[in-house]
Amino acid sequence: MPVFFTEAADFGPFVDSLVRASRVVGPIAKRQKFVFGEVHSAQELRLDYDVTLLPPKKVFFPPKQAIASFDADRVDGEIVPIETVLLGVHPYDVRGIDMTDFLYREGNADWNYLAQREATTIVASCVQNVAPRAFWASMADGNQPQGHDAFLTQIEGGYVYETRTPAGEALLAHGNFREATADHIAAAGRANADALAQCQSQLPYSSAQIAATVRESFGDNAMWDVLAKDCFSCGSCNIVCPTCYCFDMRDTWNLDQKSGNRTRYWDACMTREFAAISMPGGGHENFRETHQERFRHRFMRKGAYLNEKLGGLACTGCGRCSAACTADIADPVKVINAIMEWS
Amino acid sequence: MAIDTHECECEKRESLFVPREARILHTHAPTSTEKHFTLQFVDGSPLKFQPGQILEVGVMGYGEIPIGIASSPTRTNTFEIVVRTVGRVSTAINSKSIGDSLWVRGPLGHGFDVEALRGNDVLIVAGGIGICPTRSLIQYIADQRDDFGRFVLFYGARDPLQLLFPEDRGVWRATHGIEYHETVDRADVSWTGNVGVITTLFRNTQLSAETRVIICGPPVMFEFVIRELDQAGIKRENIYVDLERRMKCGVGKCGHCQINDKYCCIDGPVFTYAEIHELEEAI
Repeated sequence: MPVFFTEAADFGPFVDSLVRASRVVGPIAKRQKFVFGEVHSAQELRLDYDVTLLPPKKVFFPPKQAIASFDADRVDGEIVPIETVLLGVHPYDVRGIDMTDFLYREGNADWNYLAQREATTIVASCVQNVAPRAFWASMADGNQPQGHDAFLTQIEGGYVYETRTPAGEALLAHGNFREATADHIAAAGRANADALAQCQSQLPYSSAQIAATVRESFGDNAMWDVLAKDCFSCGSCNIVCPTCYCFDMRDTWNLDQKSGNRTRYWDACMTREFAAISMPGGGHENFRETHQERFRHRFMRKGAYLNEKLGGLACTGCGRCSAACTADIADPVKVINAIMEWS
Repeated sequence: MAIDTHECECEKRESLFVPREARILHTHAPTSTEKHFTLQFVDGSPLKFQPGQILEVGVMGYGEIPIGIASSPTRTNTFEIVVRTVGRVSTAINSKSIGDSLWVRGPLGHGFDVEALRGNDVLIVAGGIGICPTRSLIQYIADQRDDFGRFVLFYGARDPLQLLFPEDRGVWRATHGIEYHETVDRADVSWTGNVGVITTLFRNTQLSAETRVIICGPPVMFEFVIRELDQAGIKRENIYVDLERRMKCGVGKCGHCQINDKYCCIDGPVFTYAEIHELEEAI
């Protein structure tokens, strides 16, 4: 696919044209932090963000998503995709979307997710500022994210726009683009290499090594006790994770008390009730009773179970869990390195 | 990464989560906490299933819960479930009567491997409400009795009032070809049968080492039953366990029913003991 260039002065009008044509979601400021939100003008777009509070998975898998509606004797499915341009997604978050795409497609295809995914054009972007807890540079295992339609890199004087799919190419009609020169392309390459070099935290093991060692460590209760000692079971690490996709399903009534929705909500395997079942007499059986067991389950999923299925860790190195963890014990670099070096 | 995000062979763009309406044709309440429903889809289509598979059954506005199918696919185009009142959803289901509707998704998951059982001696060990999903297999074997070897059925409950399916038990007891044994943990004045936990039934029953065994009951029961089976020399791959979990989505996505790296809803709820005996989170 060809590579294009647009002058810095033409970039704002490009974004504004996209906004007029379609729903655009991108990084915007929220007080001192950043979030993926609906972009109403180019001025709002903050491609200089380091990391957003929540990953862009919420565009396809919202925290609260109606999956069926009911009214008296009628039940209807709720698959209502909205044509969307998702702009400014960092490469590690594209990898998170890649993984979630796979997990929702495998086996029973989840069209409540996939329909919105297919209605979305993703324009990825170069990381201009690296978040303090990020470690994505050591997470790629030599592979590149692939679920995006175009890749945008800011260079001196403008932006380099690499098209990856026809959907990404179609957006060119909204801007004033010309074919990029070899200098433009070289400058974009340097910008992306610089971003990688800024990302210092490292996981110096291959995904296959991690999968084997994490799985073998399942029965090392003393190690899991130490690693999970301070866990509050709050589930923050789950909620901010780009590859966590567990959910709960609950029904809600409308005010008329006749109609309502069956809705899925993000859920967190770190919370105490997650694996509990009700027993007669008001009792419960909990298949992961302790916070050590739940902490272990999270790292088994990320490091072994999903790793073996995806061919790479179910972790993108975004660092959101490290930043969100009240007890500061969720950092995958520290936890996985500790597992790998435990003796 | 070894994942392909661009190709999808799935043509069916339907929601996995939309239930079908099933009308209640018959109900009765065998105990103070259980209700037995006979259901039929409103569109008249049969439920095609395998004994041991589950349904997500619900009342719109209250939610849905996983329930094992309590009848055999060899009988009519109706299907039966037994629901125990334990929480909000089961209470809403058990408030429904003949002519009302329940909303059903399924069948889901893997049931009993009836082809692996065919031609072999079979022992079913059912504790408490575990008799409900196994009743599907009991009827299945009874209806094709010549296809199976010796058929032993152990059923245990907390007390005589908790024993479900009184009419079925009469048939099982009287049917030539079913070796039916029952027990209760605590007897009452009317009870003349065996008293004790379900493993006490093994004392008077000799089993061949090639017997295929199905276990369904409360989690605490499995360990003790498996100990008896070990002593009888029965191989792990010939033991089938029907596990219960909080299966929210029923289709392998929501994560609630995960047992180590297996999902109870799609890899189970029926597993061989060989598959799960090393999984710490299984039993």
